Amino acid sequence: MPLAITIEKQDIILPRSHTTPTGPTAIGNVHATPGMGADTPQIEFRNVTKLYGSVAAVKDISLTVRRGEFLTILGPSGSGKTTTLMLLAGFEAPNEGEIFIGGRSVAAVPSYRRDQGIVFQSYALFPHLSVRRNLEFPLEMRGVGAAERKTKVDRILSRVRLNEFGERLPKQLSGGQQQRVALARALIADPPILLLDEPLGALDRNLREQMQIEIKNLHKEFGITTVCVTHDQDEALTLSDRIVVMREGRIEQIDTPEALYDRPASRFVANFLGEANILEGADFEVESGASAPSGTVAMIRPERILVAAPTAPPRADAAQRQSVTGTVRDMIYAGPLRKYHVHSGSATLVVREHVASGQEVFHPGDTVRLNWLRSDVRFVTP
Amino acid sequence: MKLLHKLARASVGLSLPALLILLAVFGVPIILLFLMSLNAPEFSLVNYKAFFASNANVRVLIQTIQMSLVATALCLVIGYPTAYLIAAASKRTRTVLLVLVIIPYLTSLLVRTYAWIVILGDRGMLNSLLMEFGFISSPLPLIYNRIAVYIGMVHIMLPVMILPLVSVMLGIDRSLMAAARSMGAQPLSAFWRVFVPLSLPGVRSGSLLVFVLCLGFYITPSALGGLRDAMLSTFIAAQVAAAFNLAQTAATAFVLLAVAVVMLAIFGLDLAGAHGGAVQPARKASWRARLSLSALVAPLREIAISWRGKRWPTRLYRAASERSWGTKVGAVFAVLVMFFLLFPSVVVIIMSFSDGPTLTFPPKALSLQWYRSFFEDPSWNRAAWTSVRIAIAVAVLSTVVGTLAAYGLSRTFPKLRSGLTMVILSPITFPSIVVGIAAYLGLVKFGLIGTETGIMLTHSLGAIAYVVVIVSATLANFDRRLELAAKSMRAGPFRTFQRVTLPLIMPGVIGGAVFAFLHSFDEVVKSSLVAGLSVRTLPLKMWENMRNEIDPTIAAVASLLILLPMLWLLVLYISWWRSRMRGQGSGSMAPAAA
Repeated sequence: MPLAITIEKQDIILPRSHTTPTGPTAIGNVHATPGMGADTPQIEFRNVTKLYGSVAAVKDISLTVRRGEFLTILGPSGSGKTTTLMLLAGFEAPNEGEIFIGGRSVAAVPSYRRDQGIVFQSYALFPHLSVRRNLEFPLEMRGVGAAERKTKVDRILSRVRLNEFGERLPKQLSGGQQQRVALARALIADPPILLLDEPLGALDRNLREQMQIEIKNLHKEFGITTVCVTHDQDEALTLSDRIVVMREGRIEQIDTPEALYDRPASRFVANFLGEANILEGADFEVESGASAPSGTVAMIRPERILVAAPTAPPRADAAQRQSVTGTVRDMIYAGPLRKYHVHSGSATLVVREHVASGQEVFHPGDTVRLNWLRSDVRFVTP
Repeated sequence: MKLLHKLARASVGLSLPALLILLAVFGVPIILLFLMSLNAPEFSLVNYKAFFASNANVRVLIQTIQMSLVATALCLVIGYPTAYLIAAASKRTRTVLLVLVIIPYLTSLLVRTYAWIVILGDRGMLNSLLMEFGFISSPLPLIYNRIAVYIGMVHIMLPVMILPLVSVMLGIDRSLMAAARSMGAQPLSAFWRVFVPLSLPGVRSGSLLVFVLCLGFYITPSALGGLRDAMLSTFIAAQVAAAFNLAQTAATAFVLLAVAVVMLAIFGLDLAGAHGGAVQPARKASWRARLSLSALVAPLREIAISWRGKRWPTRLYRAASERSWGTKVGAVFAVLVMFFLLFPSVVVIIMSFSDGPTLTFPPKALSLQWYRSFFEDPSWNRAAWTSVRIAIAVAVLSTVVGTLAAYGLSRTFPKLRSGLTMVILSPITFPSIVVGIAAYLGLVKFGLIGTETGIMLTHSLGAIAYVVVIVSATLANFDRRLELAAKSMRAGPFRTFQRVTLPLIMPGVIGGAVFAFLHSFDEVVKSSLVAGLSVRTLPLKMWENMRNEIDPTIAAVASLLILLPMLWLLVLYISWWRSRMRGQGSGSMAPAAA
């Protein structure tokens, strides 16, 4: 049963500050594909299904991507997110349904005629070609002359701060540098669409954060419609205008990062993006008084729960709050955060609070009172 | 530091037995041979001058190089697409195709040459079929000419070309081709600009191996070629047989060796990751060659680019049909190549059941008479048992000695390792007739000419090299931290080797033993030089028969020999499968360690 998906109108189309050279040699400036109205979606999937043998990797998905939008497809491995990207890239053909790019069906268009930039998970830099020759490759394939190629390569090399590395081979670069070359290579021919396949998967944590900023900046600068596939929720939340959450070949929910985190439609989405406490079972109904609409369960995010000693005086807004009593089972200290696992009845609730001065710290075995605002409880499909 | 040095030296010590055998049977004699060719102790170039003074000699030399080049080129032209198809095939198809390539590779060279005699001969399969159907009245001269030699050489060398190509092609990241296509490269230009350059290392090692082996070809050209198709090896063998003027023969042998060494030095041989010292300058040379080549290609590329520039906007978002005929052509090609590789063996097997006094195709009636004659004739029997005895001894000796050497080499400094590896591999990189003459000289000193021990030692030279190559490759994938772990649990070096290392590299060791056995069981050239008159191995007896017009019993022998590699493949498969089964427990730990 596919869920009802509300696609919010987002009016802001990111400005294109990057200008493509004009004149007779300007090739690849096909952002304004002819025959395409201003509000035509750049990419559209209409009831697309992809089978591998008898197994459906992607089942009847429909989605649109607006021009200039950064859309992330998020899901666990095997959810069909990579297949979706491969379909869009033209490496696979759908068994059913149609894909439109710039308003045209691309069913029979092979990848080499789709004018897309792709950053592969492994970067797929040509190991036998220097950085410069790697960057020239997409230009050569589009028939850009030698002089213009040089200008473009020089410009983009300085944009990704790799001026001195043009003559190096990819294997002589660090992981982050390779990632930047891969991005530059995908962008250099000015394609209207950029596809990113787990672009930061191979990088360590610090570098990943830097590269997230880099990608975000490049996206703003080039105003390029971007579809990114990842299993990393942080990446998705940081980069995207909208996120598609996929599960077992179907779309679970599409929304902006904030809406998705704050109002997940299903238990799966709630759990996949961040941590979620599901309030089910008799214990909670008795004590919390929360009654979920039929067919849904109540959910509360760990950071929305406050933890206090049972003897603590009630808060001023106590009337709007629900509370339960429980026993601390674990206290995990993680730098700026402190996490409690609290046993209450048959369930274990996760509570996360920011470390602050003067805060009371609880230890395993302590009895505590948990409370939260009624308005912070969300109802999700189980 | 001192301890480290000691340890390193001790591990090199493990390769001493291999080096001793090599030195005694091959190393010292070849140096003596070289001195002899220089007319030591007077030292002069008389013998070389004499060689180059004779037009006939020079013609044979040029012919040898030319034939080797043509055969290598043919192998490349047929082998490259075949390897590509194998590498691109689905996993199951790939395995089947690889087995089909490996079976002829492991089949006796003598048998495969014999198969072509049976097919191309005056009363062979083709001629008798053509006459049967009345297309011709007298046999066509299909055999004893250059074409026949090329057919035989290519048939024998094709697997040697295909296997390294496949291994390099399988290592090419497929996402690179996808990347090229996503950047607008059509399938053909993606192939040409990305796949081909990345497969060049395979082209290099495959071509080099084929070329060097072709240089030393002896059996095939002399069995399938006419008098005018002699190669240098044939020539040397004739020199040896006619009058043993050792100094002259030595000079000829070293001319042949020089061609091989020059080729190896220019293009650099990279066997089992052993980078020889000689490879470094060679790299630069080929780099320079490539530079000049790219300077030549660059203007052409610009023309192509401007042409693409006109095409790109018009082709954008145009539909293109997937060319299914491409895969069909590929499938047909692969089937043809596999047919070429395998049908000679099949023909031999079918013809071995002929009744009547000669072999016929198709046999009029089936009979086991030639098998009976093989099992009942004491001379065939004796030859077979001699070969089995020698091959088992060779397999045992060279597996033990070779495994120790490979283990020792893997634990020593890279420079020493590559140097010693080159030395140990010389018996299979040098033309076998040269190795044979050197071994003859060495065995004379020990009085071992015409003994089984002598033949066994000679065969061990090549067999040890094969074991070292295979075991080294296995050791390269061996995680040395496992040894450290064993040592941390108080296992001594010997115990560690016995309980941890050896079981894990067992598939390689068994593979080495199989190769050693097959190498010995199939060896003719060297055996013919050192066997004297008293010992007859099976290949020697077959070779005699092939040359002196044919006792059809040989077809039965050949058929039995064709079954041998399949038996061995089964052994290898079982040992690999068992180690994989056992490896599954540790396999789950591997990612955690990495």
